[in-house]
Amino acid sequence: MKKLRVHRVTAVIPTASMADIAFLLIIFFMLTTSFSPVKMSVDLAEAINRQEVDKDAAIIAIGTAGVMEISNGIQTGNRINSLEELDLFVKEIVGLDPSKQFIIKADRNIRYETFNAVYEKLRNNNCRRIALLTEARRVESQ
Amino acid sequence: MALQIRNKIPADIPTASMADIAFLLIIFFMLTSVYSTNFGLEYGLPKSEDLVNVQPLEAMHIHIMGPGAYTIDRRPATLQQIGGYIDNKLKQNPKKPIIIQTEPDVPYHATIEVLDLCKQLKVENVSIPTSFEVAMWGAFAGGIGK
Repeated sequence: MKKLRVHRVTAVIPTASMADIAFLLIIFFMLTTSFSPVKMSVDLAEAINRQEVDKDAAIIAIGTAGVMEISNGIQTGNRINSLEELDLFVKEIVGLDPSKQFIIKADRNIRYETFNAVYEKLRNNNCRRIALLTEARRVESQ
Repeated sequence: MALQIRNKIPADIPTASMADIAFLLIIFFMLTSVYSTNFGLEYGLPKSEDLVNVQPLEAMHIHIMGPGAYTIDRRPATLQQIGGYIDNKLKQNPKKPIIIQTEPDVPYHATIEVLDLCKQLKVENVSIPTSFEVAMWGAFAGGIGK
């Protein structure tokens, strides 16, 4: 009787594309991670007519308790404690670029006087372009 | 002399990682494409040398006393009625300015609603007065929006 030869296949996990998978994962996380200069999360007011704001605009975020955070649009935002600090910030930005846009990212429920204090600082410092950040208004069903 | 056996390696282009390269390229282009998620109501202020004083008596005056509580030229109105009123006035004078005055304790979104309405009606001159201007107009005209 003839002996049968058994061809043994060695068990190997293919690792050639491991680096590609790793790169894909890195890029996926880079894509899904969002970087915003201002970290404060606010409940925005809704509007229908909305325009795209400048990508490098300076941001003034106003939270529910009137807490403010500012950013020149490039660097990470800083909390500020007084309107004098805001005044200095606006002066500096307008001094460097008078046509720089300022985005007011205010919570929908803040009192108007809080918004007005910021608005007056911008006007007094000859800021020309303001954008009031809003979110899209959902169509109401009738 | 013994003949040498040559082991010929077949000429193949490795295509196993082609799909990965394609995905990498797709993601690269997705990353480098510029898109913005920030939208808002733009509000332009004139240069100091181009300043035109909005005369309170020439302008339409919207007074916001609370969410849903508005007056236009001192007459109580709903947001819809305000829209109709502005539309009629703009037909007579497309450059007619609008002053939006809000009470200090009113939620900010009430102002945004009115500002949004003005933008929808393509109003060219919208003015949000400072507290100083409100006080000044009040002193001069015995209250704005007469």
